[in-house]
Amino acid sequence: MTRTSLGAPLDRVDGRAKVTGAARYAADNNPAGLAHGYFVLSTIAKGTIRSIDAARASAAPGVLAVYSHANPLRLLPPRSYIAQFIGEPQRAMQDAVVRHYGQIVAMVVAETFEQARDAAALVTVEYDAQPPAADFLAGVPGARDPQTPFGHPVTILADGVPDIDAALAASEVTHTAVYTQPPEHHNPMEPHSAVAMWDGGKLTIHSGSQGPALHALDLAEGLGVPQEDVHVIGPYVGGGFGGKATSWSPTLLAAAAARALRRPVKVVTTREQLFTVTGHRTASHLTVTLGARRDGTLTAVKNLAVTTFEIENPASPPTAAYKCPNLDLRLKVVDLDIPRRTIMRAPGYAAGTFGLECAMDELAHELGLDPIELRMRNYATASPDKGLPYASKHLDECYRVGAERFGWSRRKAEPRSVTDGQWLVGMGMATCVLPSSQHAGAARVRFRANGTVEVACNTADLGTGAMTVLAMAGADRLGLPVGRIRPALGDSTLPVAAEGDSFMGAVGSAATSTILSAVHDAAGEAITALIAHAVSDARSPFHGMDAQDVRYSSGVLEGGGRRAGFGELLTTTGTPGVEAVTTATLGEDTERYAFITSGAHFCEVRVHRLTGEARLSRVTCVVDAGTIVNGKTARGQIAGGVVMSAGQALLEGAYVEPATGRIANANFADYLVPVNADIPAVDVHFLDHPDTRYNPQGARGLGELTGTGVAAAIANAIYNATGTRVRDLPITPDKLLS
Amino acid sequence: MEQASEPERGVSRRGFLATSAAAAALAAGTAGAPSPAAAATAGPARAGASVVRVTLRVNGRERTLSLDPRVTLLDALRERLDLTGTKKGCDRGQCGACTVHVEGRRVLSCLTLAAGLDGKAVTTVEGLARGDELHPVQRAFLECDGLQCGFCTPGQIMSAVALIREGHAGSEEEIREFMSGNICRCGAYPGIVAAVKAAGERG
Repeated sequence: MTRTSLGAPLDRVDGRAKVTGAARYAADNNPAGLAHGYFVLSTIAKGTIRSIDAARASAAPGVLAVYSHANPLRLLPPRSYIAQFIGEPQRAMQDAVVRHYGQIVAMVVAETFEQARDAAALVTVEYDAQPPAADFLAGVPGARDPQTPFGHPVTILADGVPDIDAALAASEVTHTAVYTQPPEHHNPMEPHSAVAMWDGGKLTIHSGSQGPALHALDLAEGLGVPQEDVHVIGPYVGGGFGGKATSWSPTLLAAAAARALRRPVKVVTTREQLFTVTGHRTASHLTVTLGARRDGTLTAVKNLAVTTFEIENPASPPTAAYKCPNLDLRLKVVDLDIPRRTIMRAPGYAAGTFGLECAMDELAHELGLDPIELRMRNYATASPDKGLPYASKHLDECYRVGAERFGWSRRKAEPRSVTDGQWLVGMGMATCVLPSSQHAGAARVRFRANGTVEVACNTADLGTGAMTVLAMAGADRLGLPVGRIRPALGDSTLPVAAEGDSFMGAVGSAATSTILSAVHDAAGEAITALIAHAVSDARSPFHGMDAQDVRYSSGVLEGGGRRAGFGELLTTTGTPGVEAVTTATLGEDTERYAFITSGAHFCEVRVHRLTGEARLSRVTCVVDAGTIVNGKTARGQIAGGVVMSAGQALLEGAYVEPATGRIANANFADYLVPVNADIPAVDVHFLDHPDTRYNPQGARGLGELTGTGVAAAIANAIYNATGTRVRDLPITPDKLLS
Repeated sequence: MEQASEPERGVSRRGFLATSAAAAALAAGTAGAPSPAAAATAGPARAGASVVRVTLRVNGRERTLSLDPRVTLLDALRERLDLTGTKKGCDRGQCGACTVHVEGRRVLSCLTLAAGLDGKAVTTVEGLARGDELHPVQRAFLECDGLQCGFCTPGQIMSAVALIREGHAGSEEEIREFMSGNICRCGAYPGIVAAVKAAGERG
């Protein structure tokens, strides 16, 4: 393999394992003596369990145990605030209370999967049911203020302005509308699965997680064992999107059952169960009010968002989007008897940019302005909330380049102007924004006598390409071909920074920047350690030299006329490896600058005049994310976000029955996600403006970027095509026919 | 035909036959009902017992299994033969992650009972490469980045191999249509289409 520096489009280093089926995901592990667990779920949303009759299930062939609150697998509640807020504060089967429909009320463990599944159908549960609060929209008027550290209101007022309503009253034009979307489910292709086994008091568990260290902590807390006694292994994760950021009961119950039965236990959550036993994205109700002058200059933005989750705040995007002197952004929360909500790709920004970017389109139409022109008249060169200048923001170039690539000039401003047979054709655009985040992560870099270098980081590759970025980061810093790097992630025993958010692993689009800094620093220290070894080991050709006189370059040490590759050196000294483990020091100047990833989306949509079917027919995304580390995997992230957002716009939504709290469409035939035929070619273009004030490599995160804006661009294109403005997602045919 | 022995835990032969019939009904239309020969070996009438003897030719190798009649081809591959490349994404035929070939035709292995496949040839993703040499479709998926998390990838590749063979990779539109039984939640569809197109053109 040839030398690859950052920026080259490199094939995934784990791609071969994935295309041959050799990659082992959690449920692909079959240790000897394996037993299988299967869950029984509640069929009411609120109440208590009066009785559980497990007799027939217990007597069924192959059944080893039936657990429930009456015969419990004891789990302790989580202590960390991350698990409490983002995950489950209440573990399954610890009491008789039913808190939502589809809650785990019993677990059957049997010799085989078939025996466990069919025995689970023999468990009879009787309930004392109460009517649940399950109707989100009914709860919106009475929504409460947030009570956690999250969801604080943001109020910024210009001098002399008493409140946001005064600013709106003084505006020449205002636009106000309500934008809503139903709950969304991550639906990773790999359902939450675990294979757990104990050796004495120590747990080894194969489980796909976005953060192996946090997962191990969650498991340790839940099981009441020291964290160092939990080993999470998950090098391959079949998609996460936020849904595998924290730990959910299926994983904990697999571990607890394995401990009770003294044999390995496998649990694979079914697709239907996944909708209720793990978290989802909250429904959202967002009232956007824009105030502006007739020339389009924004004078005030008032957002009132209502969700079921403090951390998912759709009111927040104006803190990052446009220049505006008056902002009032508030979140209110509805408490419902429904399954847990959690973070999902671009939390807050996904629903929030749908509302804001549709509102901007509507304002542009009212003012007779081109949607790009309206955005340029409110272009922010400084962070609207912090007032700090953006270190590197080239969104203006994204608009310009995108408009040209897409052919925006051919758009007719008047809706319903373009037809092609029975199809109404429209174009729409929107901004995407995501405040950048990176963490001070730890890495281990180890030179090995066989001539390879292990580069290890306690994070995960959910399909993002992190494994490849890890290898590239090592190769780039050490001047070696990628083929000589052995990347390692997805294991809780790998180095992790004890403090700070890197503990969470792959969240917040921060993994690439975090990996680059951590590997950069650890590799520097590993080189220092290698030279120290070279001058101190008696068998080394550099023995006795001053360390300052030995230089490292591209895997080779040189000095005093002597020269040796590190593999040769370590072989000569009989040393298996020399390593350094360190936590990165981040250099971004957050006192003086703000950092943001942004881009522009352009969509063409065709809506059938008679059926109301909306087909996405063309997409262009131009992205300013600083240095693109791997053009190939970055393209996949951007296009993949477009696909998921096309689902948000046109297809997705859990239907929670108001009377029962049951999700009526908890499967892939009824909860629709985009399939191949729903998605056209996606034109992705990256600007190349390294943000070197952010990190030396100039790279910002982008994994969640196209979770923002795309749904609005599609809705705006549908308005342009049809003249119908739909503000309630998904935009299904019925809404376009009425 | 052997006589039914006394049920060990209160499950009658009648109950077993009902289970068997249900299993056969499930399999009908996908891979056919269990053969009479397979049913005839079902001596000990105990639900959950390994009572059906099936010989499959998996990736060119004969594999004989004694199976619970409820076992799907997917679970036979994954849990009995340790061929875990084939994935369980939904277990009800809605996602395509479990796609394999039976006698050269793609089937959803989660909806196919293993008991109905006695004597049949099964090809899984593990059976495509020749040693270190990837199948052209595997190579194209790797080069075109037709994957992200990789979990749906084996099913995508098995579908792609079949549709190219069937002559359905003629245009991007046709590829999109014929690949739409395989969901990719990461949204790698543009790369998947490019990969199928490239592999199709290479022949």
